[in-house]
Amino acid sequence: MNRTEFMNELQRLLWDIPESERREALQYYNDYFDDAGPENEAKVIKELGSPEQVAKTIREGMFENGEYTERGYEDERFLDRQEVLDERTGHRQTTGNPWKLLSILLLCLILFPVIVPLCIVLVCILVAVIVGCIGIGIAAIVTAAVLPVIGIILVGIAFYNLLAAPAVGITLGGIGFLLLSVGILTFLLAVWACKTLAPLCLRAVIAVIRYPLRKAGVVR
Amino acid sequence: MVFNTGAALLDAIVLAVVSMDAEGTYGYKITQDVRQVIEISESTLYPVLRRLLKDGCLEVYDMEFGGRNRRYYKITDAGTAQLNLYISEWQIYSAKISNIFTGRRKHEQN
Repeated sequence: MNRTEFMNELQRLLWDIPESERREALQYYNDYFDDAGPENEAKVIKELGSPEQVAKTIREGMFENGEYTERGYEDERFLDRQEVLDERTGHRQTTGNPWKLLSILLLCLILFPVIVPLCIVLVCILVAVIVGCIGIGIAAIVTAAVLPVIGIILVGIAFYNLLAAPAVGITLGGIGFLLLSVGILTFLLAVWACKTLAPLCLRAVIAVIRYPLRKAGVVR
Repeated sequence: MVFNTGAALLDAIVLAVVSMDAEGTYGYKITQDVRQVIEISESTLYPVLRRLLKDGCLEVYDMEFGGRNRRYYKITDAGTAQLNLYISEWQIYSAKISNIFTGRRKHEQN
């Protein structure tokens, strides 16, 4: 790769940066080659690496710009001070914690006769809801499994009776198809419930259990 | 070199190199001068110069040289102030480090 190829490739790679930025960068590297002289051209290209690398540095330099002005020396010092302050408030918080904990414990002790039955009731409700959901789920699955079977049997009987007693046969057949369709519908409903409702419920239960724990600072 | 050159130190070195020429100096020469002191790749300097330019520490002007326009970089007053800050901070910093190193040597001799 010679200088012209290098510069063309660099220009191509910088197609998406603002026009003024691209012109500046290209002028810089053009100057650079000029000042290095033709005798150093190969050396400069070797040192610069690939046009891709140079384009990357130019791009990164542009990206950094906003942060750098703020990262001047004065600001660095300010940042340090802020960290110290944070540490100090952190200490204050940790010294305040035992009191908070003690007051919570005291409160728990006083409210003990109320809290325990309340907890039991809440747990019972939770268990009831979960069991209820499971029951509904099982019922749905059983319905989904049994209804199509009955439907198919009825359709079979209907075909068997079709010639002997056409009216009974057609009626039975209609009921059979109806049950089959209801069964399939229930099955689809059960699948949908398992897919979307179950995780939702699980997440809700977990959230309810986590809430007091997070407030107490046991989990984050 | 075993020691890394941070952004602030690189800024300081570049400002110092540019400030050595009252009339200003150009990209290739700055790179060669900086490379006399620290090991950096040739492509490192463009973003640094660009940033110093944006921050108002440097200014540029084009001057004809050998039948073409060459871009010159010159330090501004703000750049000089920044450089002086860097230099004083560097003196404190390097003195502390040197103290620790020489203090250690004395300790070993005892």
